[in-house]
Amino acid sequence: MSKRKKKSEQREAMDASSSIARQSWELENNIVPMEHAASGSSSPSRLGTSSSAPAAAAVDSCDSIYAYDEAAQSAIQQQKPWTRDPHYFKNVKISALALLKMVVHARSGGTLEVMGIMQGKIEGDTFIVMDAFALPVEGTETRVNAQADAYEYMVDYVQTNKQIGRLENVVGWYHSHPGYGCWLSGIDVTTQVLNQQYQEPFLAVVIDPTRTVSAGKVEIGAFRTYPQGYKPPDEPASEYQTIPLNKIEDFGVHCKQYYPLDITYFKSSLDSHLLDLLWNKYWLNTLSSSPLLGSRDYVAGQISDLAEKLEQTETQLAHSGRMGGFFMPSQKKKEVSLFVETKKRLESTIYVCFYQEESQLAKITKDSSKITVEQVHGLMSQVIKDILFNSVTPVATAPSFDSSGPEPMAEA
Amino acid sequence: MSSSSGLTFKLHPLVIVNISDHYTRLMAQAAATGSAGIPPPLRVFGCVIGVQAGRNVEIFNSFELKHDAATDSLDRPFLETKQEQYKKVFPKYDVLGWYSIGADIRESDMVIHKALMDINESPVYLLLNPAINPARKELPLSIYESELHVIDGVPSLIFVKASYTIETVEAERISVDHVAHIKPSDGSSAATQLAAHLTGMHSAIKMLHSRIKVLHHLLAAIQKGDAPPEHALLRQVSSLVRRLPAIDSPKFQDDFLMEYNDTLLMTYLATITKCSNTMNEFVEKFTTAYDKQSRRGGRTVFV
Repeated sequence: MSKRKKKSEQREAMDASSSIARQSWELENNIVPMEHAASGSSSPSRLGTSSSAPAAAAVDSCDSIYAYDEAAQSAIQQQKPWTRDPHYFKNVKISALALLKMVVHARSGGTLEVMGIMQGKIEGDTFIVMDAFALPVEGTETRVNAQADAYEYMVDYVQTNKQIGRLENVVGWYHSHPGYGCWLSGIDVTTQVLNQQYQEPFLAVVIDPTRTVSAGKVEIGAFRTYPQGYKPPDEPASEYQTIPLNKIEDFGVHCKQYYPLDITYFKSSLDSHLLDLLWNKYWLNTLSSSPLLGSRDYVAGQISDLAEKLEQTETQLAHSGRMGGFFMPSQKKKEVSLFVETKKRLESTIYVCFYQEESQLAKITKDSSKITVEQVHGLMSQVIKDILFNSVTPVATAPSFDSSGPEPMAEA
Repeated sequence: MSSSSGLTFKLHPLVIVNISDHYTRLMAQAAATGSAGIPPPLRVFGCVIGVQAGRNVEIFNSFELKHDAATDSLDRPFLETKQEQYKKVFPKYDVLGWYSIGADIRESDMVIHKALMDINESPVYLLLNPAINPARKELPLSIYESELHVIDGVPSLIFVKASYTIETVEAERISVDHVAHIKPSDGSSAATQLAAHLTGMHSAIKMLHSRIKVLHHLLAAIQKGDAPPEHALLRQVSSLVRRLPAIDSPKFQDDFLMEYNDTLLMTYLATITKCSNTMNEFVEKFTTAYDKQSRRGGRTVFV
């Protein structure tokens, strides 16, 4: 009896601590479930859910983000607070639906870049993306005005949508960079600068579906460009990501012309409810998925890319010896190389070593660790599944507790 | 327990989130306008699209439709416009049926269903129940097919419930996971990533374990005589158990160990790279710190 009481107490304590842990983790990790929004909005009671009237009131308030306030939006359009500050917008909130649609569309393109439009609204310094839809255009990397072709489709689509209650305006565009990271290429920057001149407020989002699948977490980035000639204040380096060799120049030349925004996600109460229930059917897929098999091509590509970069670094270090710091590619710290050229003294060498963020070799090390970690995770899953499903010898008698269920070994 | 017409249904989570968003949006807008006379409950209508390959019906996506309350029918030209738009972007998807919101099917649904039958000879009807009931453990979504039955001598169409499974692409699963559960965002350390990955596996295995426990209890009860033995069930359980070990051929062991070794090799390579980087940095610092004094004079040559 006392044992049972202890167990239930333990379970309660665990529940309490796990809910605290969950909440702190939620806070840290940018997921805003919007379930604890302030109540007290006086909306008329509605729906057949009259049995849970207080719940209905809470539903109203936290789903209020889904309501479109035409007057407020046009007021913001009139004021145009972003013209005064190029760094005005700082955050992006993406709805669960928009994220899902964008990722699925990006993945369906395979190795081809795809693009689409996002619809939503503005709130203070935040873009709120409610929905996204795909555009029937291909390969934006080589065509500057791919959007011109798709304008007709976009206008048509937005018009039809207005008839069924999707009242938001277009607030941005998204496209995919399959396998080479979330950043804006030269063409993207040009397009976005144009957009920000004529279609303000506008946001650019980039998704990498290949890395998403390989790493097991969503690779997405949101950017806004600076207007021509604007010198941004030196900002802290954003999260490092590995760029393949053939794209690295494009990345480096333009990386100072735009800045990333913080992304958070939100979902409605019905969404949360459904997604929770979905997990009951989902666990099967989690167990049977095998990231190793799915991303073989990508991993092989990454390793060969790393090998090339290593060779490059080796030649650099060998030829310049102690002065390796001088010839570091100018992608980071152009000011430093200028400094070195003008001063040309021993002290300047030391300054270079101090100020450059990382040498080539350190970057390569980071990349190799990252790809290895992903690989090891995949292997861990495989080993676990092997132990679960394969370590049982067929026994004539009744199954023991250890024997496990029916799923055959994963075949992605 | 498959559907009576022999079709297997697979549903993608995107459809579920789509419908939920459609409903939430209209609800929020209705609340915002503050109209007192809102007809309860607000029904929304839409179309589901996907691929039908033989006996497999896979529902990938959906879009909203306009509903004319007066005539209680769907706006046909609108449907066609939307269909064209979606065809441009997803040329492989066809209209497979329609969806709506509610707790139960209604009489009027059959009318709409029949209207759709000229696009697709056997459309499906998805019904989502938006009531949030924390006690329920399963998805409040049901799929109905129409069947021709003879009732009282008159052949008429009735709705028959069908079962479905949730099907997903890897990318979809990851993004749903990301939004549904707590996952570490970017910039997390390797430790938290590892923790997240293992937690995911752990919850999946926990589910598996609980399901098996249920089966086990049932079997024990049958053995004791508490529950009536169901031969079909027993046959299924026995076939399940007999499939273990899942794969045990020597070829599999070879491949598995090869993959294992490949990963170990990668880890080895990464460690070597890390070591060489550390060495390089160390040597650089050493030369910068210790050679400066002795070779001060000759330095200017390099500059």
